[in-house]
Amino acid sequence: MLWDFEDIKEKAQKEIAASPDLDALEAVRIKYLGRKGLLPEIFASLATAPKEEKPLIGKGANILRNWLTQAIEDTKKGLQDSLQETTDKIDITLPGVAPESGHRHILTQIIDEICQIFVGLGFVVQEGPEMETEFHNFAALNIPVDHPSRDAFDTFYLESADPDNPNRNLLLRSHTSPGQIRIMEKYKPPLAVVIPGKVYRPDAVDASHSFMFHQIEGLLVDEAVKFSDLKGLLTVFCQRFFGENILMRFRPHFFPFTEPSAEVDISCYICNGKGCSVCGRKGWLEILGCGMVNPKVFAAVKYPKGKYTGLAFGMGVERMAMLKYGIHDIRIFFENDKRFLTQF
Amino acid sequence: MKISVKWLKDYISFSIPVEKLAHKLTMAGLEVEKIEAVGDDTVLDLEITPNRPDCLNFQGIARELAAVLDKQLKKPKVKKMLPPKAKCEIEILDKKGCGRYIGTLIESVCVRESPSWLTVRLAALGNRTINNVVDITNFCLFENGQPLHAFDYDKLIGGRIVVRRARAGEKIVTLDGVERLLDPSILVIADAQRPVAIAGVMGGQETEVTEQTQRILLESAHFDPILIRKASRALGIKTDSSYRFERGVDFTTVESGAARAVSLILREANGTVVARKDAFPARPKARGKAIPVKMEDVNSLLGSDLSLAKCRTILKKLDFHVTKASANMMKVTAPSSRGDVKDPVDVIEEVARIVGYDNLPLTLPLIKAQNVPSQEDYPFINKVRDCLCGAGYSEIISYALISRDSLEKSGLSQLSGIKVVNPLSLDQEIMRPSLFPSMLAVVKGNVNRGQKDIKIFETGKTYRGKKEQKEVAIMMTGKVYHDWRRLENKNADFFDLKGIVQRVLTRAGIKDFICDPDENSMYQKNCGAKIMAGKKALGTFGQVDQDILQQWDIKHRTVFFAHIDLAQLFLLSSRKKAFQGISDFPAMTRDISVAVRQDVPYQKVMDIVSRQAGPLLENIAFLEEYRGEKIPQGYRGLIFSLTYQSPQRTLVEDEVNKVHGDITQALVDEIGGILR
Repeated sequence: MLWDFEDIKEKAQKEIAASPDLDALEAVRIKYLGRKGLLPEIFASLATAPKEEKPLIGKGANILRNWLTQAIEDTKKGLQDSLQETTDKIDITLPGVAPESGHRHILTQIIDEICQIFVGLGFVVQEGPEMETEFHNFAALNIPVDHPSRDAFDTFYLESADPDNPNRNLLLRSHTSPGQIRIMEKYKPPLAVVIPGKVYRPDAVDASHSFMFHQIEGLLVDEAVKFSDLKGLLTVFCQRFFGENILMRFRPHFFPFTEPSAEVDISCYICNGKGCSVCGRKGWLEILGCGMVNPKVFAAVKYPKGKYTGLAFGMGVERMAMLKYGIHDIRIFFENDKRFLTQF
Repeated sequence: MKISVKWLKDYISFSIPVEKLAHKLTMAGLEVEKIEAVGDDTVLDLEITPNRPDCLNFQGIARELAAVLDKQLKKPKVKKMLPPKAKCEIEILDKKGCGRYIGTLIESVCVRESPSWLTVRLAALGNRTINNVVDITNFCLFENGQPLHAFDYDKLIGGRIVVRRARAGEKIVTLDGVERLLDPSILVIADAQRPVAIAGVMGGQETEVTEQTQRILLESAHFDPILIRKASRALGIKTDSSYRFERGVDFTTVESGAARAVSLILREANGTVVARKDAFPARPKARGKAIPVKMEDVNSLLGSDLSLAKCRTILKKLDFHVTKASANMMKVTAPSSRGDVKDPVDVIEEVARIVGYDNLPLTLPLIKAQNVPSQEDYPFINKVRDCLCGAGYSEIISYALISRDSLEKSGLSQLSGIKVVNPLSLDQEIMRPSLFPSMLAVVKGNVNRGQKDIKIFETGKTYRGKKEQKEVAIMMTGKVYHDWRRLENKNADFFDLKGIVQRVLTRAGIKDFICDPDENSMYQKNCGAKIMAGKKALGTFGQVDQDILQQWDIKHRTVFFAHIDLAQLFLLSSRKKAFQGISDFPAMTRDISVAVRQDVPYQKVMDIVSRQAGPLLENIAFLEEYRGEKIPQGYRGLIFSLTYQSPQRTLVEDEVNKVHGDITQALVDEIGGILR
């Protein structure tokens, strides 16, 4: 016979299957089914074919044409589908979109964190005024006028007169300790209070000094508060705030409003107590001052003599944040650079 | 206070390594700040707290160490001499200012270079040598804490010493070569005519001891701490002597210090003591009064279980006198150098210090329920913070002290702020009466650093009169959102600001508030609003005036600012929330599209709609404001979507149509609305 239909089908099948895209497939279609393609040629050959072969050629050509049409159509659909799939596919690695979220300032976060630890232990949070009287900031805390113990408390004075003592001016509190006095003037023990807030000292601004900073004061007064309680309470606090493995030591110090007084050091977070430049080779970092409330302070708030004992402590919030996050310059807290604010 | 370890060993023997010594001192309350090798010696830098002037000398530190290490003290030998018959001429006119003055006149002294043992001692502490006599006075100051001064006796006019207040206008050239103007607040040592030293602070140049000096008058005295402190501050001179006097020098070392110095001068500079006077107008007891200390109090305050015997041993090492008054009580007398120990707690601290705080027990306190309420607004303000953070605003903290200039630059010159009497600089001269300038400064700083889109807030105080008022201030500029899917991200406008203000108020539970136009100088004309809840003004917000931005050099930006009084907000905030039932019956929605005259505010349209709708109205949503060709000139179009619903039944079409009709009719009748 003039045409080997099996061979043609086999070849066409291979060519269809090998078409990588719609264009290649179209070329195959034109080759076989196009106006000048193989099939029209086969049908044209009918005219000159021997009579006995005509029905065979006609039947074979028809079957081939139907098969080709179907095969090309099926393949085309397959190619189209996969093309569509590629077009529709999302790039799941593109960034997600959500409304920008704001950030709490690291200092208010630290204040909350510290206060919450004490609230969990039974303390309440209170605040006191920043514009204070000399009585609350100094005298009631057993810090006499013209005494060297005031050296640590250089103070800004305001032009406003003290309402209780018109000869003296109000001042900006140089520590949160006057908050203790305000609480004790108003309430009778038992009391357990933490007092966060801003304090001011006329210090020239540099990497470790700021004329405004934050402190948290703590006060616990009852009938039998002991120095051992102070050690226990602050140990629990340091472990919760800095981690269970922190090493601590209580070192005698002097504060006019506590007796005995202590400073608490924690092992240096950089060198783990071996001594480095951050801790001044001491291996320890001072983090807070504390002590047993001086009976003179109880006398100043007119508590009955000898009835109560108490513990008090105070810490710098910036210092705690600097130690916890390895920040080396106190000024960055108040520059409010967006790139700083959004880190916490 | 610097301590040479070698020198310290003159007064106490010990063999522990330096690090251990430093640790022991630190844990006894004499914190070692620095350890430094100086030649073959080691120098410790100690932080001596202001209550411990007794530790500002080697013998004092040796005494502490004797208690800590349980060792004996070594005392330097001082040759006993019979005082000469002749008296120096010393007169104390200010008996309160000078409690004791011992003058010793030594003649035929040989003033020359110091012997090497002396220069080595002083050099270890960083002190330069002057001559043998002056160096001996300095050596004695470090040894026992008694400041001394030697005058060239032949330069003292009239050969006499008068301790008195300076006369107004008197001058003295001090040893540092500076001429100082004196006044009656300053105590001076004078001769017959003029001041020759500022008492307790610094000597005068004209009477200083030089190699030509033949006769010296050695001063060993006690001066009033407050007087010395004031003089030192007024004149801006801080010396080893003034530092000790203002903290308190032991009365008894006036005598022992003089004796030690005289014996050293005779040894190193020859000479003969020819006259002496001990002017002693005040005569305090060598020891303070006995302090009764109950062991029960010791152990209950410390939470410890110390015995009386243990306490007594410790206190005796510290040179306290202890007598046992009863089985559980001791009577303790502090040495004269320990003016800081007056009460039983002071004695208890001494015991605790030497036992070591780290050796005392550790317990957890019993914390009882108490009367003190917690700060009411503390959780509320945190809620406001969280609300703003949730909306994309970051919290800042700025200085509460600002410059006068920044207020003026912010259009707030009418506010005065509270003046600081002693500011460090003009940048911190007033307590801020507004948060506005601080916010502008933060925006400016960030813009300068290339941060263009800023949404910030601060919950801070403003200060007016005697009042501290908590406020929240909000500021924004630049893009509101960032979304890569949008081609254009919108810049913040007035309604972004108003939205955040509304959110804060709603979060506080304040539903009924209106915005009145605000003619505040901070805002652009017609772009400022006052937040009114009833008759109370809660704050203002608006677009910051362009002139102000120009003053701050914030260019090509629109900036928005809001501030709300947190105390008022807290007072008005409702902490009660009532549950609203959710209807099971279907709702019907109708839109209203109405054109109203430009001068009719939205609020007016809203009021009519809400009033007319009655109880069937479930919700009104404002959809759009539009202007365009189809709206008559002088009008604007407003579109609302109204939802009607009843909690009890399914509404009938007719009744909704009736209500809706009433609303639209009212809009036509009352404000000339054109329905569309």
